Amino acid sequence: MRRSRLVNVMMAAGMCLSLSCEKRSTGDRIAVFTKNQTNPYFQSVRLGADNAAKQMKATVIHYVPTKPDSIPEQMSQIEDVITKRPDAIVFIPVDSQAMVPGVQKMNAAKIPVINITDHSAGGDLVSYVGSDEYGLGLVSGRYLLEKLKGQGNVIIIEGVRGSHGSMERVRGFQKALEAFPQVKLLASQPGNFQRLQSLQVTENLLQAHPVIDGVMAANDAMALGAIEALDAANRKALVVGINATKEGIDAVKSGKLLATADFAGYLQGCVGMMAAIRYAHKLVVPKEIAFPSAVIDATNYKDADIPDAQRECPPWEAVVKP
Amino acid sequence: MWSRDVAALAYRLAGVLLLSVTLALLSGAFLTAPNLLNVLRQASLNFLIASGVTLVILTAGLDLSIGANVGLSACVAATAFKATGSIAAGVAAGLTCGTLIGLLNGLMVTLLRLPPFIATYGMLWMVHGLTYWYMAGETIYGFPPAFRALGSGYVVGIPVPVYVMAASLMAGGVFTRYTIYGHELYAIGANAEAARLSGIPIRTRLNLVYTLSGAMAGLAAMVYLARLNSAEADIGEPLMLPAVAAVLIGGTSLFGGVGGLSGTLIGAVMLTLVLNGMNLLNINANWQPLVTGTIVLLAVWIDIVTRQRADARA
Repeated sequence: MRRSRLVNVMMAAGMCLSLSCEKRSTGDRIAVFTKNQTNPYFQSVRLGADNAAKQMKATVIHYVPTKPDSIPEQMSQIEDVITKRPDAIVFIPVDSQAMVPGVQKMNAAKIPVINITDHSAGGDLVSYVGSDEYGLGLVSGRYLLEKLKGQGNVIIIEGVRGSHGSMERVRGFQKALEAFPQVKLLASQPGNFQRLQSLQVTENLLQAHPVIDGVMAANDAMALGAIEALDAANRKALVVGINATKEGIDAVKSGKLLATADFAGYLQGCVGMMAAIRYAHKLVVPKEIAFPSAVIDATNYKDADIPDAQRECPPWEAVVKP
Repeated sequence: MWSRDVAALAYRLAGVLLLSVTLALLSGAFLTAPNLLNVLRQASLNFLIASGVTLVILTAGLDLSIGANVGLSACVAATAFKATGSIAAGVAAGLTCGTLIGLLNGLMVTLLRLPPFIATYGMLWMVHGLTYWYMAGETIYGFPPAFRALGSGYVVGIPVPVYVMAASLMAGGVFTRYTIYGHELYAIGANAEAARLSGIPIRTRLNLVYTLSGAMAGLAAMVYLARLNSAEADIGEPLMLPAVAAVLIGGTSLFGGVGGLSGTLIGAVMLTLVLNGMNLLNINANWQPLVTGTIVLLAVWIDIVTRQRADARA
């Protein structure tokens, strides 16, 4: 008897070491899967989820691969979570296709899965909560083209080739361009969502095109890389990004970046967690919850410019209209 | 050996020239002074990282930790900039971080006798892990303009990183060709046992090359920061493989003892040219990996074939 209690205490201590050790509460236990430690976006998601859990008195167990976006690591974390049997799982697949067997494993273990951010290509999902990638591309692209008064030359900096997020955002940019036939798309080149690659691609495109009036970048880091290239070459162009990272909002504030579109990571964390807890309590959860795509520019950045740690999740009814 | 090396370099240069002529024919924007300077500026980051790796590979070693090293050194330097507001403190912190990681690699190889691949592969993970933990998803940005000049400034119309690259190439060239240390590195790579018997202090020399490789990663991190004005945890990952590729495309042998820094410069320029050309020609994103692979293989194959022909004639 004594021995098994000792083991239990050791296991609890081990959990506190290996997982983010929230204040113990008596409520539900919800596991949250994010893709990596490196992208500030997932940090926002985790903070949103933690805040919602705090409000609703649930305990959070975070699973983050140590190697960013590692498929085998997330797969083994799924095997681990199944033995821990949380009440529900808030899940971002590291790869929408490759993690389908993982979702199926959680289904087989009868643990409800709330999918957020990246839409899993298969498996049974209680709900999908996410921003509309296509809509984000569309609104930020349209915003840029309106500011250019429907005239001039633009370039697109794409994300990682073949990734769902990049393809949808670029499709949004292209749709925005259709409404402005006077604007010429000079080039659409991959920046792999990386700052350095985007800097180099923009430097190269500046060589090929003497006049570039606008840049549509599929994320903020690439938009800022493009701005560095423009500045170093002493050239001027309006630049838009997507995600509304803290750095992106600061750049909007200082006037370097024209606008960014809000990917709403914090809100996705909030709503994903709320949906998980609601489902665990047999409350209604819509099959799909999509946030409207909003542009953040010099006129409205103040609302977005609040550190995640100081934010509070909005009430469920304010976000999810019945 | 000297003349054969020069001949080998000439063939590699021929590969770059062939690629350049093709690009010049396809795009009017390619063969202009600003674009060529642009290519050199872009190649400089890869060259700085690859130059340290060249020294390590010359001794039949390997350094896989350089990308991770650039990432951590950049983040450490960025923190020091923000904490002190002093350029000297930031640069010193970044270079020290890079150099220390290099020294640890050296000690793992010489004292713990770990194979270089394993030692630096382990270090890659440790340094990445440390960086992710340290940054916790944050981005540090906005550095003093005087420091930024190192990345985005010009002197007499030539980008500053190109000067840094040229200085490193010359210093490294003199070191490898005209100092006893340099000759000893080739000797260790060609035959470690013979080198030991002839009295070369192998451990000391290996510690030196790994430390130098780390220091160059630290320097590259400074150029990165100055150019991008921003540090985040995942800077390093995409940098490692292209740097090792530049060394090998440049003709330095993985088995050690053969090659040098001028070859690595050609390798770095060739990889940069491929991206430059694809951007200028607006090649579809989905085709770009295929094009890159094909050109790299073709260039190295042409080099091998011409060299064999030349050897047969000689």
